[in-house]
Amino acid sequence: MNPRKLLQTAIGVVVTLLVAACGSTSTAQNPADQTGTLTVWLMNGSAPQSVVDGVNTDFKAKYPNVTVNVQIQQWSDVTTKLDTALTGSSAPDVMELGNTLVAKYAANGLLDDITSQKGSFENSGTWLQSLTDSCTYQSKLYCVPYYAGSRAIIYRKDMFDAAGVTGPTSMDELLSAGQKLMGKYGSNPNFSALYFPGKYWYAAAPFVWDFGGDIATQSGGKWTGAINSSQSQQGLTELKTIVSQLSRADKTGDELKQDQAFAQGHIAMIIANGWEVGVITDPKSGDPTLASKLGAFPIPSHVAGQTAPVFLGGSDLAVASKSGHQDLAREWIKLLGGTKFQSQMVTVGGVIPNTTSLVSLSSGLPAIFAAAAKTSRFTPNSPNWANVESANVLQDMLVAIFTGKSDIPTATSAASDKITQILNASS
Amino acid sequence: MRAAGQISATLAPRKRIGAASFRRLIVRKGLPYALIAPALLVIAGVLGWPLVMLVSFSLQHYGLRQLFQHQGTFIGLQNYATILSDPQFGYTLRTTIVFTLVNVALSMFLATLIALLMERVSRFVRVLIGAGLVFVWATPVIPAINLWQWMFDYEFGVINWLLTRIGAGNYIHHNWFENPLQGFTVITVIVVWGAIPFLAIALNAALTQVPKDLVEAAEIDGAKPWQVFANVTVPVLRPTLLVLLSLSTIWDFGVFNQVWVLLNQRPSKDYFVMSVFSFQESFRVSQYGLGSAVAVVMIAILVLATFLYVRQTVRAVNEAG
Repeated sequence: MNPRKLLQTAIGVVVTLLVAACGSTSTAQNPADQTGTLTVWLMNGSAPQSVVDGVNTDFKAKYPNVTVNVQIQQWSDVTTKLDTALTGSSAPDVMELGNTLVAKYAANGLLDDITSQKGSFENSGTWLQSLTDSCTYQSKLYCVPYYAGSRAIIYRKDMFDAAGVTGPTSMDELLSAGQKLMGKYGSNPNFSALYFPGKYWYAAAPFVWDFGGDIATQSGGKWTGAINSSQSQQGLTELKTIVSQLSRADKTGDELKQDQAFAQGHIAMIIANGWEVGVITDPKSGDPTLASKLGAFPIPSHVAGQTAPVFLGGSDLAVASKSGHQDLAREWIKLLGGTKFQSQMVTVGGVIPNTTSLVSLSSGLPAIFAAAAKTSRFTPNSPNWANVESANVLQDMLVAIFTGKSDIPTATSAASDKITQILNASS
Repeated sequence: MRAAGQISATLAPRKRIGAASFRRLIVRKGLPYALIAPALLVIAGVLGWPLVMLVSFSLQHYGLRQLFQHQGTFIGLQNYATILSDPQFGYTLRTTIVFTLVNVALSMFLATLIALLMERVSRFVRVLIGAGLVFVWATPVIPAINLWQWMFDYEFGVINWLLTRIGAGNYIHHNWFENPLQGFTVITVIVVWGAIPFLAIALNAALTQVPKDLVEAAEIDGAKPWQVFANVTVPVLRPTLLVLLSLSTIWDFGVFNQVWVLLNQRPSKDYFVMSVFSFQESFRVSQYGLGSAVAVVMIAILVLATFLYVRQTVRAVNEAG
């Protein structure tokens, strides 16, 4: 082979290789040619399997050569996993983040800024305001609202009928209804009129808010714990009365097992998310025969006829800033966050969708939960809030109150100091 | 002391002899080091490097942002000052030390009893006990803790049911973890249960080294069983006992899984032992510098405690040899 031909061949090979190399990362190419693996972290219990399968089928139709690996994470240790995965070299591409966790990761630069792409997401003009707020940090958008959830009381209609009580419209009525139920069924040592595990902070918050209390207040960029204010203490006092008379749940336990416990049939009421109805009536983990006996009503206020403000929980979908497939990640999120699958999240999953345009699809019990969300509140919007959750400040406070280890003033002022300290810490 | 004697013997003539023999001396003395160098390098890489990193983290402000940028801020001993002034640290340290003492004592005592028992029973029963011990040892720790967790469950636990059934009192809805003393008792049961197999089997093996004729001679001389045990058996077992004691101390001082998993990964502050405290600071509150400082203090205490044991062991071996 003469030298010139050799050179030409070599250049030809190099050009081919370069084209091939660029091709695999180019975004402008044909979707059918895209390859790679998209890792998605969803939380346990968020989307029904049929919805996830549907999203993957639609995604596969457009990107046949991309593998989607959906991994289900547990709420109890997800922050630890996210911390290590997002700062390490094997970050997931798409992840579901609880709305109270977004600020922490956005503030530390671990999430991809998607402000400029906002318009490309379906329904972005009618996203739920509070979820959009949770995705916004220093006026930049770091995630897409996924779904919302709020808590109400799930109750056994048959037990209410047998005890001759109706849906309470005030906290006093809740207590007296519970006392009647305890009178009727209380000889069974496993029976609870209102099952309330000691660490269930998100069910305790409505009582604090209803009396005008709060977790913390911000002024001039500085946070001050408010869980020891007289209004907060009033709410916790009311709650302690209700729990001590109506609940035989573990005073040091958490709410993770409450649906299984409810399905055992010894409980008249629990404070729960809308999707927990599905867990209670699940043929494998619960009791499907309860389906027709379940009802729901919002947590009543201490003011008769009103409802207590509830924590608006929910999740967002974010793209990791270290992801190597950010364009594919956004495409996947567009499907799950779009009209087609959000409608299924409402009808199959029983959650509140990410857009106000689909809320009216709720019917039956989910509609009651959606209505309860109308008076909703949120946790302090600070990057350090996740640390208050992780340090179990409020959970430990509740356990101390319910077990009688400390009185309410002592327990709340200790918790309040800790909250002030954590929220004001520099990151 | 023999080794020291050898060194001074080889050093003394060095000044008088020539360069050639000096070179030979270096080769002769360097060779052993060259031979252990590969092993040392591996140990330094696997054990030493993480330790160096740990100490370096403990001197920095290292939060989530720093973790992401792989760059902390040097703050000297401030992390140590913070944890030492935290009342939680004092409580945690006291709890951990008491917990370790109780667990080491209990597991060593019970393991010795079982090892002695195994010597005296028939072959069939010995195999049965041995199999039982190996089964306990072979159970992976997380499923084992889950089993114990179910047994002590507040609502559905078999322990509460059983205690109520046999008339030990009303244990329906008894919460084992409301009172930390009871909670730590449950944790102790699980830790000791898991520790006994290795200790008992190792001690049983060591017991076979006790010379039969010595025991017989002592018995002929009128020694009571307790005296035989104290004056014949224990001196032979001493090196093994010391090694097992130091290993148990290291394990029990660093207990983590039993507390963490048993309490659903959200232990209250009453249940903070050193390792849980360190994990909480690092991975829950994202203060990796503080968590590292706790871990360094933990290691320092362990080094101190085990140093005493190791010195004793070396002495015992020297005396025996």
